[in-house]
Amino acid sequence: MLEDKILVWKLKRGSSDALRRIYEKYKDDLLALAIALSNDRTVAEDVLHDVFVSFAEYAVKLQLRTSLKSYLLSCVVNRIRSLHSIKSRQNEQVYDAEDIEHDCNEPVRLAILTEQSKLVELALSELPYQQREVIVLHINSQIRFKDIAEMQGESINTIQSRYRYGLEKLKLQLNGKV
Amino acid sequence: MKLMSKIENVVRNFYFAKRSGIKTTSELDKRIIDDALPAYEQSLKTQSASVQPNIWRIIMQNRITKYGSAAAVLLVVLYVLTGNSGRTVWAMEQAIEAVKDYKAVYMEGTSREGAFECWGRTDDTGEQSKDFIVKISNGIVAWVKDGSSFAYVPSENKVYYEKAVTTGFSQWLGSELLEMLGSIKNTKVMYGKDPDTGRERVTIMSSFIDVTGPKSFIIEFDYETKLAVSLKQWDNMDRSGQPAFHAAKIVFYKEITDSLFAVNIPGNPTYIEKPLTIPDENIGLLSNPEYGISIKGLSEQQACKKILTDMYQAVIAGDIAAIKKLSPVTEILDDEFIRSFIIKTGKKDQIVELVSIGEIIKKGHSKLGSIAAVPVVYKRKDGVKMEDKMIVQFRNLGGELSCVIHGPYGISQQYK
Repeated sequence: MLEDKILVWKLKRGSSDALRRIYEKYKDDLLALAIALSNDRTVAEDVLHDVFVSFAEYAVKLQLRTSLKSYLLSCVVNRIRSLHSIKSRQNEQVYDAEDIEHDCNEPVRLAILTEQSKLVELALSELPYQQREVIVLHINSQIRFKDIAEMQGESINTIQSRYRYGLEKLKLQLNGKV
Repeated sequence: MKLMSKIENVVRNFYFAKRSGIKTTSELDKRIIDDALPAYEQSLKTQSASVQPNIWRIIMQNRITKYGSAAAVLLVVLYVLTGNSGRTVWAMEQAIEAVKDYKAVYMEGTSREGAFECWGRTDDTGEQSKDFIVKISNGIVAWVKDGSSFAYVPSENKVYYEKAVTTGFSQWLGSELLEMLGSIKNTKVMYGKDPDTGRERVTIMSSFIDVTGPKSFIIEFDYETKLAVSLKQWDNMDRSGQPAFHAAKIVFYKEITDSLFAVNIPGNPTYIEKPLTIPDENIGLLSNPEYGISIKGLSEQQACKKILTDMYQAVIAGDIAAIKKLSPVTEILDDEFIRSFIIKTGKKDQIVELVSIGEIIKKGHSKLGSIAAVPVVYKRKDGVKMEDKMIVQFRNLGGELSCVIHGPYGISQQYK
């Protein structure tokens, strides 16, 4: 947090090094979120590009009400929302589950885990977008419900409900399979 | 409930495994940075048009009449950002030596406020701006007298004043400034001839960032006399657009008459004291609870005495970590810079003794809470006593009372 405050402070005073450092610090988190929400690496890379260039453009006037990380993550969320292709991509499994890295050397166990990952990914992709967004932000990006509510301009109850409904749907789809 | 948390764990494990494989590629990084940097630099240029000052911090273009930026202007005196230190090729030492004998300067040129002419005179140390007067074509006259700064605004028939030297050269165009310029890594030196006079010229170009934003400048020196003859300064890094300040003519004097600093204001203007303020953009860092000291049970005066004593002792001891903790603005400076320009190890103006901390002389408010200006007298290595006025910011963070040092209020003055 302290480092972020200093980075933002420097950034607002013209430090391109601070801009680079912010990018290096959060690029993978932002990309992971964009991929989790869009299910499309190409789209996610474009989102990361657009979000960061836009961030650079307005950095001098930046007025943060949340943490820098939350701010950047919410930029990614908003950008993906504004892309109307989300629905059509929801069922695409562009991410090859075999790419997922498991800390496992046993071939049989690895095969099971890979199969399970496919099931989880499919189940997640079938969730309504708003529910998936909350689950991704809370579990993948480790953002608190309170901060998600602030980012999305919703009440915390609404956010928690979306999360709960999303998990219940996942439970129904995955029950006994994973 | 158990099943729900089991599902949560399944999803968590899924994302954990997936995230470990997600990395940006070097091509993507390059594409983004290549596009982001120009966008950022463009925004800086736009922004800089509304940000103040110039390297000499002459307040003329800052609408002296407006409240506010004095503290920021002066903060720059101590807290200027540079890259890594590195000597320029040109023998800056020669220019440093050349200006030592000159205690006064005349400049004329243009600023955002219009055409100007100004006279400045240093104190006995030859390092601090003492007497100063600037006359601008829009009728504004600003001057310094007996340690106070004044600005007459004819359109309002008012004189704004404050009991600190907030007008003038925050860094005298002398050896210390030249040393600083010489230490900036990106400083470039070029040689040429003045087509009008045929005299050889040395041109120094550099840029840096300080607390008020990006700055770039060109100073032209006469090769023979080693004295500056003109300077331009921009509020951006690439010297694009019209300069914010252009002194087309600079003349140095060994002595000048006192009458040059006499001010005759027509009519009977109203005198209004400027409130004590600090720039809003510094509030973020000042509000960090990890900085400063707790002042539970202390009065504001006691708190000022404690934190300023700690600060000057830290400077004397060369304790950079303590300096940064007490004065958060210094956090952005690299250690080498703090050693050279705040601690000043081995230099004649190195602070060696804290003499006294006075009563609060002025109070004001920032977005974070009340602020106070306090005089501090210290002794330098060469025996000269100087007086700083320092601004202390008080805070109430979650019920915890604390304070931090914002920075200097005005330019240091010789203490007599």
